[in-house]
Amino acid sequence: MTKIFSRNLSRKRVMSNDGMVIGVLKNIMVDLDTGQVVDLIIKPDQSFNTEGYRMDGDRMFISFEAVKDIKDYIVVDRYLSKK
Amino acid sequence: MKTQITELFGLSVYTDKAVYVGDIEDVVIDVDGKKLDSIAVGNLNPEFVDVKGFRGIKIPYRMIKSIGDVVVVRHLARAFKPQEE
Repeated sequence: MTKIFSRNLSRKRVMSNDGMVIGVLKNIMVDLDTGQVVDLIIKPDQSFNTEGYRMDGDRMFISFEAVKDIKDYIVVDRYLSKK
Repeated sequence: MKTQITELFGLSVYTDKAVYVGDIEDVVIDVDGKKLDSIAVGNLNPEFVDVKGFRGIKIPYRMIKSIGDVVVVRHLARAFKPQEE
């Protein structure tokens, strides 16, 4: 069971499971009624191609479903993150 | 209601009997379960919570009744005090 304080997550780097750096975590969307964690809000890296991802201005959303694990990096599944 | 997790920081926590518990300092996420595990509450009300050398307490998310301008948790007086012998 991985449990983590959300303040430890701020400004953590997000990486896909094929080793690409996606960006830096800015915030997390939660559903207060169900207690589910819904989305990661990410500031994408300048070199990262955001095509196919959900965007809002310069912020990118990745479903928390895609998160594989969180240790030194936040690792997200390459395919699950694109929806 | 969907909200950003940083919106929760600093909210005051009360029980459903209108007793002040403290303020939210952090939120614990269960990464495997993909859900909120508990809230970390600091700036505690010493009359309600026994704080012997602790900075705060963690309240399980299932104890929260509602979240709006403040957070309301279920009033379980014994939950916040050590059990008496």
